[in-house]
Amino acid sequence: MLWVDKYRPKTLDKVIVHEDVAQNLKKLVTEQDCPHLLFYGPPGSGKKTLIMALLRQMFGPSAEKVKVENKTWKVDAGTRTIDLELTTLASTYHVELNPSDAGFQDRYIVQEIIKEMAKNRPIDTKGKKGFKVLVLNEVDKLSREAQHSLRRTMEKYSASCRLILCCNSSSKVTEAVRSRCLNVRINAPTEEQIVKVLEFIGKKEGLQLPSGFAARIAEKSNRSLRRAILAFETCRVQQYPFTSNQAIPPMDWEEYVSEIASDIMKEQSPKRLFQVRGKIYELLINCIPPEIVLKRLLFELLKKLDAELKHEVCHWAAYYEHRMRLGQKAIFHIEAFVAKFMSIYKGFLIATFG
Amino acid sequence: MDTDMDIPLPDELEWLEANSHLHDDYPDFDDPSQPYPQDEDEDEFQPQSNHQNHQQLQPPKPTLSIPPKTAPTAKTQIKKRFRSDGQDSSVTEEGARSEDKRKRGDDVRLENEEGEGEGAEEDWLRYSPPPTGTEEGGGVVEEDVVVVVEKVVSRFASEIDGDFIPVTGLDGERVYAKMSSRVEEMNGLKKVGIKVHTGGLISEPINILIQRAETQAFTKALQSSVEDSSDAILPETPVVNEKLWVDKYAPNSFMELLSDEQTNREVLLWLKQWDSCVFGSGIRTTTDEVLSSLRRHSTIAQHQKLAGRSFSRNNRGHTLSKGNFEVNNGLGLESNDAKDIPESWDKKTKGSGPAGSPERKILLLCGPPGLGKTTLAHVTARHCGYRVVEGRFTSDKEDNEEIIFVSYILVINASDDRSSSTIEGKIFDVVQMNSVMADMKPKCLVIDEIDGALGDGKGAVEVILKMLSAERKSDVGKEDESKEGQIGRTSSRKKHRSASLSRPVICICNDLYAPALRPLRQVAKVHIFVQPSVSRVVSRLKYICNKEGLKTSSIALTALAEYTDCDIRSCLNTLQFLHKKKEPLNVLEIDSQVVGRKDTSRSVFEIWKEIFQKRKEKRERKVRNGCSSMSKDFEFVHSLISSRGDYDLIFDGIHENILQLHYHDPVMRKTVKCLHSLGVSDLVHQYIMRTQKMSLQVYQPAIAIAVRGLVAQNERSNIEWPKSFQRYRTMLMEKMDILRSWQNKISPHISRHLSTKSFVEDSISPLLHILSPPTLRPVAVHLLSDKEKKDIVQLVNTMVSYSMTYKNQKADPVPSILRHEAVVEASMLSFDPPIGDLINFKGYSSGHFVLAAAMKQVLVHEVEKQKILQGSVSKSMDPTDVCSKGNLTPVGEQKGRAQSSAFGCATTSCAENMQNAKNTSNLRHSKLVTNQVSAASGSTLSATASVQVSSPGPSKKPSSGSFNFFDRFRKLSSKGSENADNPKNKPATSERDSRPLLFKFNEGYTNAVKRPVRIREFLL
Repeated sequence: MLWVDKYRPKTLDKVIVHEDVAQNLKKLVTEQDCPHLLFYGPPGSGKKTLIMALLRQMFGPSAEKVKVENKTWKVDAGTRTIDLELTTLASTYHVELNPSDAGFQDRYIVQEIIKEMAKNRPIDTKGKKGFKVLVLNEVDKLSREAQHSLRRTMEKYSASCRLILCCNSSSKVTEAVRSRCLNVRINAPTEEQIVKVLEFIGKKEGLQLPSGFAARIAEKSNRSLRRAILAFETCRVQQYPFTSNQAIPPMDWEEYVSEIASDIMKEQSPKRLFQVRGKIYELLINCIPPEIVLKRLLFELLKKLDAELKHEVCHWAAYYEHRMRLGQKAIFHIEAFVAKFMSIYKGFLIATFG
Repeated sequence: MDTDMDIPLPDELEWLEANSHLHDDYPDFDDPSQPYPQDEDEDEFQPQSNHQNHQQLQPPKPTLSIPPKTAPTAKTQIKKRFRSDGQDSSVTEEGARSEDKRKRGDDVRLENEEGEGEGAEEDWLRYSPPPTGTEEGGGVVEEDVVVVVEKVVSRFASEIDGDFIPVTGLDGERVYAKMSSRVEEMNGLKKVGIKVHTGGLISEPINILIQRAETQAFTKALQSSVEDSSDAILPETPVVNEKLWVDKYAPNSFMELLSDEQTNREVLLWLKQWDSCVFGSGIRTTTDEVLSSLRRHSTIAQHQKLAGRSFSRNNRGHTLSKGNFEVNNGLGLESNDAKDIPESWDKKTKGSGPAGSPERKILLLCGPPGLGKTTLAHVTARHCGYRVVEGRFTSDKEDNEEIIFVSYILVINASDDRSSSTIEGKIFDVVQMNSVMADMKPKCLVIDEIDGALGDGKGAVEVILKMLSAERKSDVGKEDESKEGQIGRTSSRKKHRSASLSRPVICICNDLYAPALRPLRQVAKVHIFVQPSVSRVVSRLKYICNKEGLKTSSIALTALAEYTDCDIRSCLNTLQFLHKKKEPLNVLEIDSQVVGRKDTSRSVFEIWKEIFQKRKEKRERKVRNGCSSMSKDFEFVHSLISSRGDYDLIFDGIHENILQLHYHDPVMRKTVKCLHSLGVSDLVHQYIMRTQKMSLQVYQPAIAIAVRGLVAQNERSNIEWPKSFQRYRTMLMEKMDILRSWQNKISPHISRHLSTKSFVEDSISPLLHILSPPTLRPVAVHLLSDKEKKDIVQLVNTMVSYSMTYKNQKADPVPSILRHEAVVEASMLSFDPPIGDLINFKGYSSGHFVLAAAMKQVLVHEVEKQKILQGSVSKSMDPTDVCSKGNLTPVGEQKGRAQSSAFGCATTSCAENMQNAKNTSNLRHSKLVTNQVSAASGSTLSATASVQVSSPGPSKKPSSGSFNFFDRFRKLSSKGSENADNPKNKPATSERDSRPLLFKFNEGYTNAVKRPVRIREFLL
């Protein structure tokens, strides 16, 4: 097992990073009354870990015994029936699913399947826990319609079921859903917290950490705990007795983005833009989300940029990212940003050096 | 008509007599339907003598102009006949002579015809205006003209030696006819007639009418089958007002066709190639010479034909003159005996199959509407002596047979299974049978709009293809049969009922690339229609306008033709409409006038071309139209794009190609703007898709035009189909799929924390580093230090928990065998879920350490062992936990323990099996199958022979990892037999339980020392 999984806190008590949140959740659960919950925060901050710990807190260790079900649902949508395939993780107490996997048909999942699940009260209601928990991942990817149908489900079956929603950005969850939930923000761990975790792992593994090494990893991790731990393990694998100036292997795609950035800086022309397009496609093909590509690209460009241009470039990056999220074809917008940058930079070069 | 006739009063008679010629023309002006019934009359009287015909025809004409009076019809007729003779008494001699002459003329013609073959003969018969004009001349000037046509009539007086008289045709055409000495002799007698004529009171003398009637009768006799040809014979009758101009001026002969000369000739050539097959070799085969000359015609430019055109050409305009030419042409084809027949052509005829039919049995004509595809097919087929049977899938026609044909197909398509057989029957009838009618014309099937109706058209396409393939097959067997006449052929075909094409089939479509036509496209001879040149269209239009008395200028007509993309149908309809409205054609406001734009969609490539390339001719217009050109341009492109629709594709194409253009853009402002526009289009598109507000689509073309304004260049750009976006989409789906299936394999304790979306972003690179540690020495396991062993254990553990393994890169359907092979050819090992690919960016070399092949081998073994161990551990330690793990970590085999807890194992594995069934991993399934097979063989083997480690492969294969329920049962049974064999060695189950045994046999693993070993040696 990777360290990431090995040292994942199983209970709320053992949580290191978001201790305060964990304690609050614990209090919440022990008081019998659990509202719907909405966890949101950047990836790698520990939402899922918290949710799992929370479930364990609620139902005891047996909540961890889950099985994967891959089931095809037949949904009757007016005139025709739609076959939906859905993978769920279920224990006796809860069901975990990813409704946005169904793409544009997600509202059927919400309307039919989730309702169906929510309706069924668990049988062994010996006065103990009279409700079932549905964990929905990536709620922000749900379509508007699905979210609308979700809020009805939330109200109607609140007696028998609790929804735990999990997403990256709460802004993409409709107000109505948000107001029905207790919103729990899980922010990205600070670097100190990451260092703390790394030191904890190092101690458990019996490793000797040179001073400052953990801090370096934390710095490089982009405040994602998962990345930090993975990087830590990578370092361990590559060279054990750590040295404080040991190279931390970079992410490959980030390297690639920085290549793109230097390409852009070298030449600004439609031809070069065409090459850049090919490279961006490469990134997108390999499942790097376009937002991340754009963000990273901006980051890489800013590193090499004159200070007076930074502001403007940031502005345009934000502008095009906004459009990208509104639109559908990410490549258009990323390319538009690159073109804009090229234009600005070239203009700047001409103005400065004649 | 006869009822209207009556006896004129005596004085009227006199008047009539004087003006008899004048009256002859009246029907033409007064009664539009007159000439038509007249034809039918003639049909009935066909067997009768010419003279009788002549008499019958004459009376009604003069009487028509006279107020009706009541009189018994029968009587009138007789009287009339008499009277008409009497009336003509002054010209009796002349009449007799003219008749005499006529007969002679007919003889001449017959001679000609015999020489010419039917095609030419029909041409001759179907002439349109100009030849009749000559005949008129002939009629007036008597014999000589007809007998020696070429010499005597000329457009220019100077060309004729000696005396001549001017002859004015119906349409105002004037020719000069030579007067021979014999004519002069007769002059005295004829003077009356000529005087009447030259007096200008009558433009068409009675003789001409008679003659024309005869011609028609003769035509009828020869080709009564062509129904609509009767009205076509008289194309110049200006009385048919209610007819559409399109029909009225439809070309009736091959030479009149307006479409591209080259195409016409190719089609004709194709049809001619059928001759030997259809008409039989003996009777009417078009000789090779004709074919070759035809071929030469089709390739050689037009000037050759110009030579053939002798007279009356300039006046009539370019297209019309062809009608004149055709008599000569028919002869010309013959006389033009080709001494140098191209070799290639010779070969072609020989290679074209024994039946004599062309190689490609189907002709597929395609092109935009209104260019005359249908006309070409009909005219050519008729020209070659076929009877046209038309099948149309989208519309009915008035022809009876067609309706039957169409309805058959439509009705039958309702039930799918019968469809093709019945259509086949129908088409079979058309394509193979002889018509029962009097004329023995073979049929030519013309299937119009074959692309129009997908469902209906498909049936027909299928049937045709079937026939074609049947033909191909049967061709091998019967070669001599093909030489028989067509009657023999049909009967023999009937016998074995292998439907094959023995008649030409012409399919017509607008869109060559319609999906329904895909199979047809490959077998058919495809001709793509190109637009006729504007000048040809204009000259034709001008001719028609002149005929109809519509005042136009050629500039206006040119504009019209350009506007409609040379769609002559649309032009004619427009003109007729304007004519009715008494409006002149306005050059400048053509688009604001009645002319509707055709709703044609251009291909996407054309649109892209339009966007990336400036239009040259638009430039010219810009000069002319001044400032409105911009809006004109805009409108043009706008309508072009919006009629196409499919904006998504259009913008993809723009995006794909825009960076390849060479526009002047120093600071990339234009590029920014273009990409910005593309972004806008994407936003609009997404919004429309989400909200389904399709009305917003109207803003899409404007965006494209904005881009056009920025980048349009004069130079040509080569435009590519937008592939990259599609590629990106499919590749992304593929990779996502890999990730997802991998995630499903990982134990849920881990996989629930992973998301496929952030996986590559976060984890792949470190994972790859972790999985291939550079510190690991590629040595045998027992040589490693403790620490290294611990590392390996850790690594193996990680690999198992992430359900990673190495596998041979070559995709092999049987993974279990693969693993064995992997041991042998270890060099090609790579990660099993190919996560390495995910960071394999183009033009990027990742600095990942790759383990040595030997190390990979070791890892593969270890991982497998680990999986097995884990499975057994999990089972023995925590039976309920299997539920959670069993799905993902393949359960290993248990040797000793399995038997002690056989029942428990069976139940747990039952549960597991259910899970397995749910898990649709392909890999698992294939494993399942192979294991079943190998297990079966294993069990049989172990039943017979004692279990030996060194015994050849199959018996040990099941031990390499059992993954499913059935497998385990088999093993249990085999083990049971094994136990029975060695009862002494394993006396108690407790003893076995104390030594859990794991064994594995690797076939072909050569560094092992081979010697027979018994299981009990291990056990003791």
